[in-house]
Amino acid sequence: MNSEPLTISYTMNRLNQLFAAKKENLLSIYYTAGYPALNTTVDIAEALEKAGADFLEVGFPYSDPVADGPTIQHSSEQALINGMTLDHLFEELTELRKRVTIPILLMGYFNPIVQYGIERFCKKAAELGVDGVIVPDLPMYEYEALYSTHFINNNLSNIFLVTPQTSPDRIRKIDELSNSFIYLLSSSSITGGSLQLTNSIEDYYKRIKAMELKNPTIIGFGISDNATFKKACEYANGAIVGSKFVKLLAEDDYMKKIPAFIQNIRP
Amino acid sequence: MKIKVCGLKYPDNIEAVAALKPDYMGFICYDRTPRYIDTLSADALATIPASIHKTGVFVNETAEVISQLIDQYGFDTIQLHGDENAEFAAAFKGRVTVIKAFGVDNDFDFDKLNAYASYVDYFLFDTKTSIYGGSGKTFNWRILDKYTLNIPFFLSGGISLDNIGELKNITHPQFYAVDLNSQFEDEPGLKNIPKLEKAFDIIKNRTLQMKYGVNEHGYYGDFGGAYIPEMLYPNVEELRQQYLNIINDPDFKAEFNDLLKNYVGRPSPLYHAKRYSEKYGANIFFKREDLNHTGSHKINNAIGQILLAKRLGKKRIIAETGAGQHGVATATVCALMGIECVVYMGEIDMARQAPNVSRMKMLGATVRPASSGSKTLKDATNEALRDWIANPVDTHYIIGSVVGPYPYPDMVARFQSIISEETKKQLVEHTGKELPEYVLACVGGGSNAMGMFYHFLDDEQVKLVAVEAAGKGVDSGHSAATTFLGNEGVLHGSRTILMQTPDGQVVEPYSISAGLDYPGIGPQHAHLYKINRAQYVSVTDDEAMKAGLLCSQMEGIIPAIESSHALAQLEKMKFNPTDNVVICLSGRGDKDLDTFIKYFGY
Repeated sequence: MNSEPLTISYTMNRLNQLFAAKKENLLSIYYTAGYPALNTTVDIAEALEKAGADFLEVGFPYSDPVADGPTIQHSSEQALINGMTLDHLFEELTELRKRVTIPILLMGYFNPIVQYGIERFCKKAAELGVDGVIVPDLPMYEYEALYSTHFINNNLSNIFLVTPQTSPDRIRKIDELSNSFIYLLSSSSITGGSLQLTNSIEDYYKRIKAMELKNPTIIGFGISDNATFKKACEYANGAIVGSKFVKLLAEDDYMKKIPAFIQNIRP
Repeated sequence: MKIKVCGLKYPDNIEAVAALKPDYMGFICYDRTPRYIDTLSADALATIPASIHKTGVFVNETAEVISQLIDQYGFDTIQLHGDENAEFAAAFKGRVTVIKAFGVDNDFDFDKLNAYASYVDYFLFDTKTSIYGGSGKTFNWRILDKYTLNIPFFLSGGISLDNIGELKNITHPQFYAVDLNSQFEDEPGLKNIPKLEKAFDIIKNRTLQMKYGVNEHGYYGDFGGAYIPEMLYPNVEELRQQYLNIINDPDFKAEFNDLLKNYVGRPSPLYHAKRYSEKYGANIFFKREDLNHTGSHKINNAIGQILLAKRLGKKRIIAETGAGQHGVATATVCALMGIECVVYMGEIDMARQAPNVSRMKMLGATVRPASSGSKTLKDATNEALRDWIANPVDTHYIIGSVVGPYPYPDMVARFQSIISEETKKQLVEHTGKELPEYVLACVGGGSNAMGMFYHFLDDEQVKLVAVEAAGKGVDSGHSAATTFLGNEGVLHGSRTILMQTPDGQVVEPYSISAGLDYPGIGPQHAHLYKINRAQYVSVTDDEAMKAGLLCSQMEGIIPAIESSHALAQLEKMKFNPTDNVVICLSGRGDKDLDTFIKYFGY
C-alpha cells in the first residue's frame, strides 16, 4: 500500500471530484465578472462549460490589483465602472448552479472580502455553489492563523500560489494547507506575460513534480495558446488561461467565439 | 517598560549607572546583604538627575529609621522588601512612592496582596528565598497570570542577559518595570555598565515592541501583517529576516549616523518659536526637519534604506512618490551610492509637481509615470509593487512611509525615530526635562508623525496629536481624513484603516497637500488611533494655508503645506502657560511656492 492518509477533514466538493476523475490536461479559464458588461457572468460560464473548459475562475474586481498586468487591470476598472460589486456578483450567481455544473472559483483581492465580512462572504459563496477562492494577497500565515476556519466551515477550498522563488519548506506547508489544487505561477510576474520556458523555469517545474505533492498542480500566468498549454501540462495537471481570454471579451460577438477559443488552446 | 537598577553602593558606579538613565535606582538599606549601602554619603545621590527615582530598599526596618533615611538620602520611593503589613506601608503612602515586594514561588497566594491594594503604588515580585531577595534565580513567570489586581508590578529575581529575551512572553497588562541587580555585576554592588547597556537596549526595544510596537508576525494589535501576493513573499521575507540584524549592526549604525550628521545635517534644531509661544500661550518648539538636506524628513528613511539595500547586495532601487519629496530623497541617496534608481509617480502628480520631476531626473533617476487608476500616489505604489514582483532578486523597494507589508512600517519608523530621539535630548537643554506636554505632527501615511512620536510612545503623560488633511472639509467628498472617513481593511500589504467604498474599493483622497493625499495610514497609526494612545484630528486646506502664511510672517519660516496642517492645529487647542509643545516641521515650503502663490495671490 502506498496511498497517503487522507487529511482532508471535509466532504469532497466539485473541485475534488474533478481532480479525482481527471488527472491531466485540465483547462481552466479566468475572466473578470462585470466585464465587458454586467449580468454576463453566468452566460459566459455556461458557454465556457459547453466549449469544454474544466473549471472556471471568476474574478471580482478591485481598484488596486497589484498582482495583475494591464489587461486584467483594465477589465477590473471597466467592471467597476459598470457597477460590479460583490453584492451584485452574488446576485448574478443565484442562477449559477441551475445552468453550470463545472467547479467555480472566485478570485479577487482581500479588501473587498474584508468589507463584505469574511465569514459572510464564505457562507454566501458556498450557498451559491462556489467551490473555492483564490485571494492572491491573503498569504499563508494570515490565512492559517486568522481566517481559515471560515473557509473550512463552508467547505470552500482556498487556493495558494507558488512561484519559482517559493522555498521547498513553504511548498510543503502550502501542500498541507491545501485541499483541492495548488496554483503554480509560471514565473515571478504579474498576469498577462508570456510563458518563456527558460531552463530555470523548466527546472522549477521538474523540482515541483519531483516533490510528489498530495495536491494536484495547475500552472497559470502566461498560458495563451496550445503550445504554452501543452508545455504546462507536461509538468502539471492542467493550466489556467486568463489575460488572453479577457482580451477576447473585448471583441465583438465574443460569445460566439468562445468554442473556437477553447478549441485553439486544447484541440 | 520601566527599568530599575538595584543594589548600588559605590559613588562612581552610581554616577555611571545614572548616566544610562534607568527609571529607578535602588539603594539597599538592609545590613545583612553585601549590597548594603552602609556609610554611603548622601552626596553620591545628589547628582542623580531628578527624572530617576531614588529608591530606598528596606527589610523589616522601623518606620523611624525609614523616615530618617528618606530625609537623609532624598529617597522619593521606598521598597518594603520584608514582612511589612499593609498598615505599615500605608503610613508612607503620599509622602513617597511605595513599592511592596513579595517573594514568589509556585505556591504563592496572590490573595494576600488584596490587603495592600489601597496602600501601595506598586508591587514587586521577586524569587522567594529565605534571605529576602538577591538569590540570582528566577521564579516561574507563568505564575503571574494569577495576579489580577490593577496595581502595576516590578519583576525582579535573576533577570540576566540570558533570559531577558523571554520577558517578551510576559504579556500581563500590569507588568510595569524590570528590576536588574545581581546578574549585571562584577562584584556585589558594583554594576557592569556594558552589560546594563545591552539590557537597556533589549528592554527598550521590547517595550515599543510590546505595547505600541510590532509583534513577530508584523502586527500592531489588529493592524499590520503582510498581505502580499506570493510573488512578493521572498522579497519581503528576506527583508523581514535581515532588517533588524542589519540596522542593529554597529557598522551600519556608524555609517547611518555619519551620513545623518555630515550629509543630511543632523541633528536638526529644536527651535523655540518665541512669537508663536506668545500667541498661543505655551512654549512652542519646532523640530526643524525642514532644514534637512532635500528639505524634509524623508531623507532619514532613504539613507537608512539605501544602506540596507547595499548590505543586501541589491543593484537597483525602485520607489513610489506622491508629491515628489520621497522620490527626490531616494534619487538623492541613489546618486550618493551610485545605484540605479527608478521612481514611479502618478501621471497627474507629475504634472502637479513638475519641478520635483526635474530634480529627480537631474539626480540621475528614471521617473516612470503611473497611468492606471487615478494616476496618483496609490497607483504609483501599485506600479512599484508590480516592478518588484517582476524583479525580485536584484531590486530593493524603498517605501517612503510607515505603510506597506511588515517589516516596512517598523523599519521606516525606526529610521525616522531619530526625530524624537534628538527631540528628547534637545528638550532637556531647553526646558530641563525630556518630556513635553504635547507632540504634534501631520499624517499622510504617517512617517514624520511616527518618527516624532516614537520615543514618546511609552511616556503616556505626553499627549500625541496626529493631524490629518481634511481637504475641503471632511463632509465635502474631497478629503484625506482617513481615521474620520475610513474603516478597517487591507491596503498596500497591511491591515489598517483606509478610505473605501462599502464594496471595499479604495477611494481617491484629496488634499491641497500632495504629501497628505493618501487613502490610508500606517498600521501603527491605526493601532494608536484605535487604542486612543494618540489623538487624530483634521485640518482643512484653508486652515493649513493660513497657518503656513502665519508661520512665514511670524517666524520667518515658510513651511511645507503638509507641516502647515500640524501648525494649524494650534489654533484649536488650549494650553497652560507652562506647557511645552513640540511640532514636527516636517518639510520646507519651497516646493509649495506655486500653490501658496496661487492661493494667496502673491
